[in-house]
Amino acid sequence: MTLKALGALIAATGVLVASLPAGAQGPIRIGASLSLTGTYAKLGNYMHEGYKLCAKELNARGGLLGRKVEFVVYDDQSMPATGVRLYEKLITEDKVEAVMGPYSSPITEAVVNVTEKYKKVAVSPLAATTSIFKRPPDKKRYYIFMIISPAEVYLEGLIDMAAKRGLKTVAILNEDTLFAKAAANGAAEIARKKGLQVVFQEGYPKGNQDFSAILTKIRAANPDVVAGSTYFDDAVAITRQMKELNLNPKMYGLTVGGDLPEFYTLLKQNAEYIYGATQWEKALPYPGNKEFNEAYTKEFGREPVYHSAAGYAGCQVYVEAVKRAGTLDADKVRDVLLKLEMKTAFGDYRVDQDGFQIAHKMVMTQWQDGKKVIVWPDELATGKPRYPMPAWNQR
Amino acid sequence: MTLAPRAFLTGLAVLAAALALYPIVGTGYGVRAMLQLFMWIALAGSWNLISGLTGYVSFGHVAFFGAGAYAGAILIAKAGWPWLPAALAGGAAACVLALVIGYPCLRLKGPYFAIAMLGLNEVLRALTSYFEGLTGGGSGLSLPTLHATVPIYYAMALAAAGVTLLTYLIITSRFGLRLMTIREDEVAAEAMGIDTARHKLYAFLLSAAGPGVVGALAARDQGYIEPISVFPLATTITMIVMALFGGKGTVWGPVLGAIVLFVSQEIVWARFPYVHQLLFGAIIAAVVLLMPRGVLGLLQTKYRLPRTL
Repeated sequence: MTLKALGALIAATGVLVASLPAGAQGPIRIGASLSLTGTYAKLGNYMHEGYKLCAKELNARGGLLGRKVEFVVYDDQSMPATGVRLYEKLITEDKVEAVMGPYSSPITEAVVNVTEKYKKVAVSPLAATTSIFKRPPDKKRYYIFMIISPAEVYLEGLIDMAAKRGLKTVAILNEDTLFAKAAANGAAEIARKKGLQVVFQEGYPKGNQDFSAILTKIRAANPDVVAGSTYFDDAVAITRQMKELNLNPKMYGLTVGGDLPEFYTLLKQNAEYIYGATQWEKALPYPGNKEFNEAYTKEFGREPVYHSAAGYAGCQVYVEAVKRAGTLDADKVRDVLLKLEMKTAFGDYRVDQDGFQIAHKMVMTQWQDGKKVIVWPDELATGKPRYPMPAWNQR
Repeated sequence: MTLAPRAFLTGLAVLAAALALYPIVGTGYGVRAMLQLFMWIALAGSWNLISGLTGYVSFGHVAFFGAGAYAGAILIAKAGWPWLPAALAGGAAACVLALVIGYPCLRLKGPYFAIAMLGLNEVLRALTSYFEGLTGGGSGLSLPTLHATVPIYYAMALAAAGVTLLTYLIITSRFGLRLMTIREDEVAAEAMGIDTARHKLYAFLLSAAGPGVVGALAARDQGYIEPISVFPLATTITMIVMALFGGKGTVWGPVLGAIVLFVSQEIVWARFPYVHQLLFGAIIAAVVLLMPRGVLGLLQTKYRLPRTL
């Protein structure tokens, strides 16, 4: 009885597993797994919208190689193991003709083993960790391409501004995960190069909510600058607890989270003066940026964040490479991607021989009267930074 | 009894042969999905060994999976071991951990054991983040590229079969009867002369070996591990739900639960990401309320199937 049921189940699995391949001249299907649920859900969904808008605009202009483009997206629940299985499914079962990267560095690090195995070009718009791309020669990866600036330079702007003002000491705290730690280590290295002293550097586990111990230690070190390598929830919690502990540096900046609109909604005047590092801002004068903003807001009823723009631009970069190569063949598209120089709504694209991004620029924003103002670098700035940060109770 | 033992064994042999030949015809995804299904069978079956049989509910069983994953991955990445001995070492590491933890914790009664196990998992996660030189800390550990999905498929299948066979051997032995006596009434078991502490510890050790081995195999197959992806509470919950759904304390219950839940997740839920979590919660509630002994437990009562199924 049970055995029969078991047999039936296995048979049913077999039938469903052998699902239908794509028709030859149907749409070009591009596969991706994205974190639609789980810890990265918020940002994964922004990225998904970037992909969707890219495909929609492309199809409105006649598609790619004379065919429509269609995204096949599954949810990896923010888990690398699920992502690995889903890319395997996309490539060997759904037989998609192309893939795009997933959200986040850890998941990319895991799934890229699958895309490399099947020789699929994987333009990965939101993998910012250098170690995914820069590998020893015997472990080199050939088909992965980077769109955003690496984690290590996220806080360069904050450190640069601090050095120019003659500040001397910096404290760094980070979530202890692949990307956040790389960003913290990068910031520490830049600080040392620019002559600042790193008086404190410590990680906290993902999902941490109580930062009082770590912030008390930072207060004891009395740094001029506090730099946080964060995602979002931790960025909000750290800021609230800094106020409670009256930790009051001259400058305070964050990697991810400090630039999101929700950050200001939650913190109101306490978000003022806080610097946020971002890959992209809607005010930046990049070609097509204004149109992208309008189309995105109209399509999804909310404003894009840099994750949306990176997804959108990553898709455009891949599409451009396919157009120039005239084929979806991975080796030919790879050759084009290695040489391609392109300006998108997200900024510049150019990679070195490892597929590592070298042209795209980070910017630093600051909350001023409820608005984000770009304060670094000078050539892209839309305003002057307000300095120093006043005491928490004088705002 | 509706199935003669001989028919049952023949069926099993046919199934084993079919699974052995599957990688020849299966796609990359098919093989990988089956591999992960075997992993879940081994995990749910192992949880069943301690929690289904003795009634000591472990809320931190993923700790053994993670310990095996890290032990195996470190041996592969830092000491250059081949993956098969590394997987066995992963199992051994999990057993050592079980010995150290089980000796004091299995003396805890009721919910205290469950909570101690929950804590163990958090402690291990913190420790792997802390010993950066060895584990890579929060940045994780990236293993050398190796495309060995098919051999790992067979290893995973053996692990799943091994755990299931072990469960059968235990349930049909005096040892198993003693474990179930502990579950029903520990004081009575003690009064009958059963060395309960020792029996529980043995069961605990056996239940840790499987997760240790499959942890190391999964790490090798995935090629990259980090603390949050090998010590998630969600993995423990999934193995508990699988064992409960199929029928805890039975041989085939965890197998059935793993197959049904994994397959439905792959086929149905992957297309409805937001409904998926809701459904999972609903299944837990439904199983606990409507069939506390699981699908197999229900069938056993209704059709008078043997207890050893």
